[in-house]
Amino acid sequence: MTPLALLLTVSSLLFTCGLFAVLTRRNAILILVGLELMLNAANINFIAFWRYGPPDPDLTGPLLVLFSIAIAAAEAAVGLAIILMVFRHTRSTDLNRLNSLHG
Amino acid sequence: MSLLAMSTAESSLWSPEWLPRLPQRLVEMLLRNCHAPDWLVTLAGYAVAAGTVVAVFLTAFALLSLIERKTLARIQNRLGPNRAGWFGILQPVADGIKMLTKEDIVPAKAEWFLHLMAPILIVVPSMLALGVIPYGREWVPVSLDLGLLFFFAVGTLTEVAVFMAGWASGSKFPMLGAMRAISQMVSYELPLIISALGVIMVTGSLSLPAIVEHQGTYHLGFIPAWNVFTPWGLTATLVFFIASIAEANRCPFDLPEGESEIVAGHMTEYSGFKYALFFMGEYLGLFAISGLFITLFLGGWQAPLPGLTFVPSWLWFFAKLVAVIFTHLWIRGTFPRVRMDQLMRFAWLCMIPMALLTIPAAGIWVFTGGGLKGWLVIMPLLLIPWLILTTIHNRRLAPQTRTYTFADS
Amino acid sequence: MIPLIPLLILSPLILLAALGAVWNARPVHAALLLALALALTAGLYLTIGADFIGLVQFMVYVGAVAVLIVFSLLITRPGDEAEELARRPGAAVSGLACVLPVATVLLYAVSHTPDLSSGASESPTLPLQTLGKALFTDYAPAVLAVGVLLTAVMVGAVLFARDPDKKPPTPPGP
Repeated sequence: MTPLALLLTVSSLLFTCGLFAVLTRRNAILILVGLELMLNAANINFIAFWRYGPPDPDLTGPLLVLFSIAIAAAEAAVGLAIILMVFRHTRSTDLNRLNSLHG
Repeated sequence: MSLLAMSTAESSLWSPEWLPRLPQRLVEMLLRNCHAPDWLVTLAGYAVAAGTVVAVFLTAFALLSLIERKTLARIQNRLGPNRAGWFGILQPVADGIKMLTKEDIVPAKAEWFLHLMAPILIVVPSMLALGVIPYGREWVPVSLDLGLLFFFAVGTLTEVAVFMAGWASGSKFPMLGAMRAISQMVSYELPLIISALGVIMVTGSLSLPAIVEHQGTYHLGFIPAWNVFTPWGLTATLVFFIASIAEANRCPFDLPEGESEIVAGHMTEYSGFKYALFFMGEYLGLFAISGLFITLFLGGWQAPLPGLTFVPSWLWFFAKLVAVIFTHLWIRGTFPRVRMDQLMRFAWLCMIPMALLTIPAAGIWVFTGGGLKGWLVIMPLLLIPWLILTTIHNRRLAPQTRTYTFADS
Repeated sequence: MIPLIPLLILSPLILLAALGAVWNARPVHAALLLALALALTAGLYLTIGADFIGLVQFMVYVGAVAVLIVFSLLITRPGDEAEELARRPGAAVSGLACVLPVATVLLYAVSHTPDLSSGASESPTLPLQTLGKALFTDYAPAVLAVGVLLTAVMVGAVLFARDPDKKPPTPPGP
């Protein structure tokens, strides 16, 4: 197995783990955990192709990863701020209980 | 080649400049004479270098615990520990024996694995950070191109460890203490890193030995080119120093561990050796961040005057380290503890703006070429916001005038 | 084979930590296992040779995002694990049913990836000067956009955190 294939397999499995968390978890914060895993999987993909793929003198892979890390951090901050605001109103982070817009 | 022939070939081996490297060089020479493979020689060299750093700083930690108590005692007009040996010099030994022989109590509601891992994860970043600081002209344990980034990255591991300590203890005081400690560390991490950015900009490298060598020249023959003697550097020095006091949880920012406030904060449910590990992690972190402060702003191992370079460089480093640590102790003995909201307000509304201002100031310094012109151009940029910020803070936080009502009126 | 050894050691550990993060019923344990998975990913980047990215990943993800998640868990104090554990089998089955097709497609794509390395013998390095120059010349609009985004996030978070009923603390009087 080439290193590229190994890293791509790892990133695919990591992505599916994150997707599983987003679909199955009930606590809003743990859904964010799954989201971070998915973003990380994409980052591993970029770095794997930079390292084991065609030569990349412009460093597009690492640069994209830098932006991805910054945006992931920003989005985690906003997501947690929203979750905490909702918690302040409903005293619960259970997503099944946040159905007041339900028909 | 015999051992003797090799030693005379490297005659600089025995000069005082090379003294800290001596154990590493001796082990490497020994292994090469035994025809060990190259990777084993490098590995053994690195292991001995790490061992030297750890040994030196653990001894310094033991001495500092005594010197801190004596200094604080003298500031508070009392004597301090003087029972265990002459001048109390065996007090660290007595403390060590006490810590090692105490019963290790883990609360029933605590999660034992996280409870055990937390003190270990607090000591590990401090020791890792001690490995990248240049202590002398030829003495960096690990010379990384990204040394400064490595230092800050391992520093952020401490926050997760503090959370683990607070959560895993399973009781309220540690949880509250962990919340306060984490919010304090996160808030003061920003001014710390931003004030170091000016240094990186001017030096053009993240490597700590390169930063020290950049400060090696002398203006006008006798003023060293340390970063503290530049206007942006002076501001960054003050911001970095105050932020380092807060990062190390020292007084006046030791609310997370003040006994009168919250028992011992996140360390409440720890006893015996684990508490000693917390203590050690805090002091080693103090050494690491003071070492970084000296490297970034006080010229590292550079001598202050051009004529004094005959003194070995590592001696200058440790002299500066003693001065910085003494300033930490002095501040601890002088200032009262800062309240949590005052602490956060100070970080976000005063330190971060001043730290952000050092970045354009450093850029203008390089643009004007330094010297008197640079000072005259940059001082207004830094002084005016500082005056505005301090006026706002003083007016907001000043106590109101007291009105007294007496019983007979 | 030799350069593959760090990858072979780290990859299963990352996957195990991620599995623990998505399956563990105790929220704090899940968050700490996420921090472990992110730290191991940073180690993976360091062994590959993307040292700057690895250290930035460690500093931002483990030092900031994981601390954020753990801090918000400390504030919201989720507790009810018994209910979570009771409805687990149904959740696992439905989750797997949705996730397995995705996994199949991804692994199929991975297995059909051609060997793209052009036979370059030396591994690429990540020179900091090139990165910095590219960030501030070619990618300057993106950097500015990320700056605006982060400022907006900070302002938004501060606004969210304010309690609208509480008035700001007054300085201590006599």
